[in-house]
Amino acid sequence: MHINKINDMTRRAFLKRAGAVSMMGVGAPLALNLAGISEAAAFEASDYKALVCVFLFGGNDYANTVVPYDTANYDLYSSIRGGGAGRTAGGIALGRNALTATALKTITPQTLTNNIQYALSPELKSMASLFNSGKAAVQLNIGPLLTPLTLAQYTGSDRVKYPLPPKLFSHNDQQSIWQALNSEGATRGWGGYMGDLALSSNSLSTLTCISASGNAVFLAGNNALQYQISPSGAIPIWAAKGSAFNSSAVSNALKKLITQSSPHLLENELAAVTKRSMDLEEIVNAALNPVNLSTSFDRDSKKNSLADQLKVVARLIGARNVLGARRQVFFVSLGGFDTHDGLNENHPKLLAQVDEAMNAFYQATVELGVSEKVTSFTASDFGRTLASNGDGSDHGWGGHHFIVGGAVNGGQFYGTAPQISLTSDDQVGQGRLLPSTSVDQLAATLARWFGVNSSEINSILPNVSRFASSNLGFMK
Amino acid sequence: MHNNNVVKTPTPSITTTEKPLLADSLSASTPPKPSVGVAGLVALATSGCGGGGGSSGSTGGGNQTSSAASSVAPQPLYTKAEAARFLLQAQFTATDEEILAVRTSGYSAWLTSQFNAPIDQTGAAWLTASGHTTPDDKGNYFNPVFGDWMAWNQLLTGTGQVRKRVALALSEFFVVSLSPIDGFWPAMLIAHYWDLLNAKAFGNFRNLLEDISLNPAMGFFLNTKGNLKEDIASGRQPDENYAREIMQLFSIGLYELNLDGSVKTNAQGHPIETYVQSDITNLARVFTGYDWDYSKVTQQNGFEPYPVPSPEFTGGRMAFDANKHSNLAVSFLGTNIPANTPGADALRIALDTLFNHPNTGPFFAKQMIQRLVTSNPSPAYVQRVATAFNNNGANVRGDLKAVWRAILTDTEARTLLNNTIAGKLREPIVRLTQIARTFNVSSSNGKWEIYDLSNADTHLGQAPLRSPSVFNFFRPGYVPPNTALATHALLAPEFQLHNETSTAGYINMMTSFIQSGYADVKLNLSAIESLAADAKALVEWLNLHLTANQLSTATTDLIQQALEANPVISASSTSAKYDRLYAAILLVAACPEYLIQK
Repeated sequence: MHINKINDMTRRAFLKRAGAVSMMGVGAPLALNLAGISEAAAFEASDYKALVCVFLFGGNDYANTVVPYDTANYDLYSSIRGGGAGRTAGGIALGRNALTATALKTITPQTLTNNIQYALSPELKSMASLFNSGKAAVQLNIGPLLTPLTLAQYTGSDRVKYPLPPKLFSHNDQQSIWQALNSEGATRGWGGYMGDLALSSNSLSTLTCISASGNAVFLAGNNALQYQISPSGAIPIWAAKGSAFNSSAVSNALKKLITQSSPHLLENELAAVTKRSMDLEEIVNAALNPVNLSTSFDRDSKKNSLADQLKVVARLIGARNVLGARRQVFFVSLGGFDTHDGLNENHPKLLAQVDEAMNAFYQATVELGVSEKVTSFTASDFGRTLASNGDGSDHGWGGHHFIVGGAVNGGQFYGTAPQISLTSDDQVGQGRLLPSTSVDQLAATLARWFGVNSSEINSILPNVSRFASSNLGFMK
Repeated sequence: MHNNNVVKTPTPSITTTEKPLLADSLSASTPPKPSVGVAGLVALATSGCGGGGGSSGSTGGGNQTSSAASSVAPQPLYTKAEAARFLLQAQFTATDEEILAVRTSGYSAWLTSQFNAPIDQTGAAWLTASGHTTPDDKGNYFNPVFGDWMAWNQLLTGTGQVRKRVALALSEFFVVSLSPIDGFWPAMLIAHYWDLLNAKAFGNFRNLLEDISLNPAMGFFLNTKGNLKEDIASGRQPDENYAREIMQLFSIGLYELNLDGSVKTNAQGHPIETYVQSDITNLARVFTGYDWDYSKVTQQNGFEPYPVPSPEFTGGRMAFDANKHSNLAVSFLGTNIPANTPGADALRIALDTLFNHPNTGPFFAKQMIQRLVTSNPSPAYVQRVATAFNNNGANVRGDLKAVWRAILTDTEARTLLNNTIAGKLREPIVRLTQIARTFNVSSSNGKWEIYDLSNADTHLGQAPLRSPSVFNFFRPGYVPPNTALATHALLAPEFQLHNETSTAGYINMMTSFIQSGYADVKLNLSAIESLAADAKALVEWLNLHLTANQLSTATTDLIQQALEANPVISASSTSAKYDRLYAAILLVAACPEYLIQK
């Protein structure tokens, strides 16, 4: 079996991109549009669709997010996590009574491993409602894989037939693999590859891939670039907008200095970003300003940066017609999930923010009339151990994730539920889940909905053909 | 510790654009004032000593200060721009006095003087002197913002800039962030961590590795604090966080390296991983049994329904409790620590293993070069610095002074390369610190009330000791996706902070800061006030002191013309003069030729 397609892909993309960059030049007249070439024919989009990646930095504790609820499996969970007598909270286990309100009820009956039933964390009340009303799905035990893998294959020595994703359990590398299917240093992500195909569908192709959360490799394609937006919109460079220190000449000189090309590659890249920033600022803000949502993104007056980010994403979607956007990929994030310590104290606060933000975002898409056109999904470095280290959990591999939107076949679980065990063959020790679904499969399922055709899916996700299906079924 | 600093690499002073000035040019520069931490050297210069060895193209590493007194003016060893360029790599500012001192004593001797300079005031001492360690009814014991004030006070004031500059670099390698630290006295916790990096910046890597491992703030940040041994009955396992990150980030990294920092490959051409999960699970046992040391703490009542501890637990080392320490054998990286080895011995063996690993030198060396000099050092440069790490010339491994000297006096650091990829993006903290110090920043009330500047939309997008995670503000291997840099396989770590909003946030912040300062913190432009009516001289002054003359003629012409559009003469109003000064500083501070430090 020939496994390492990533390298071929990288090389091919490298050659293409070298051409793209030189074509773009650094002094391109306007940074509104990216180089129009693509590795493949772009799809023709007449409608609007958006994908939103909600990245939970640090590695989300899957076991206290999607929690065993039937008594048999709950008891196993409680025993491993140090729960109290009478199914009360203890150690890092949640109490069972607290889970009643967030118990998940599938739309159609489903029988999962060992007849497990799940509840969500008590903080995920809105997410549970979205699930129970069919607007959210749970993808069970998903993580990076290069090929389907059993425990015996994982512990065996045949790395040619059964390669492992590089640097398992390492934060930065697994973040990169989730976003870009390769360890740190990867320069193109699968959101960006989808963006490549969408560039020609958008009037302003620079607004195809947008981050509200710092630089993310997820959004970089062969031609697609990340555009950064702040929660308050685009940031004007005030001194470059006509007058600085009572001088228009100074303002003009500033604008020239910070945007002009340079033969020095670092200076040039610095200026290219600033030029993009300035070229788009007035256009973006003019489009955003009239978009006022009645949906509240703040139900408890507490700070929630994820809600702030998703709010501006919703407003951008509200401005889609003014901006001429038909296909967009967004990236937002929340940090703090590396709960080695203080899991009981910190994890619920984080999930409460996820719940507030993702629910408000869904409701905003309803308000905007695009709930069936916008799909958000969670991702994270890795799942964590099921075993406790006293008051937290350690780095793991597979985890459970949410897909939310009106186009989601919600109210269902997808994938294979793991056993609640530290010794079963679906984990690699301490309850570090051996994924039964790969990130590539998730990406392929979302890409197909986004409009990417089958052959392009195989090009974007070269390993997906090794898995049973490139369609997990959670999208309508 | 040995203190014999032998520089093994030749360090010719070469630039492609300039020749050293002659001695008579020196007299035209600002007369030295003994107001900086190089007073001894300045005295040496003004008394006419130390002219030996000062021929053009001489080595920077030699000893040029040994000749007898003479009445001849000192022969400068380098141009002003060369000295300024060195200073802006080694520390934050390049004042006239500092430029003169470097030109007179030579790079290596000047560094020695900085290595020997004492620490003036620690962050913890400043917090104490400012009243931030005495509990008050506002709950100051819970307030982390004094940690931000402390950090900026440390960066913006006091002597010992080289120490602080390299401590800042260390804080981006051995990362602890104030952001998640809560509970009592977070500001003191982060201050003691900063003070530790400062105190040990010129010490030995091995000692530093042990000190940071047992530091209370690090204990909180990476969970060694309260880390318990395994418990078979409950299935509880030791926390693996510190064991993982000390290997991945603080010592050896993920892949086996050659001495020049390049990745070794196996017969199939694949990188060779330095460790696997079982190494981490084993090493985690070594870091069990530690917790904050409350033995010197006194409890104070009346502030909360519970007692408030005094802050002694925030400094020194964590306490060790053998009953909570794993007695299991440890096998990692080929080292075996037998079962029931006492905790201190197990720690010593584990840290020795990491310290002596062949990766540690090149892994650390390359990142420190990236922080101080260039994002893309040649393998040979990395190898020279790693060699100095491995042996300082006196058979001492891990001598940090030897590392800094090797980095800063290396031919690749001292040569201004005329290519399109040299240098690095100045990180925002360094920009602000440089500009503030260059213009004699001061506080009107002593508070240094600079809050967390991490917001990229409105502030710097970076704040000292406030990394978003242990992976620092930016990764050493970061490549800006889909750029010409990626096409050329160039690293550009600091670009991880650069995007459409942060570029605007920075320029907006500087526009305001130059003119109005920040809270009680203000600049003083008296150094350039007299140049307000002479735009050309003003731009020349800024070009030398802020960029080591790295602005091109086209850029200085552009700035000068823009400034001259609003005429200013000596009789002009103060506000007209100051508008010109503000504008000039902003144009330099925002300019890519300044931001990319070559």
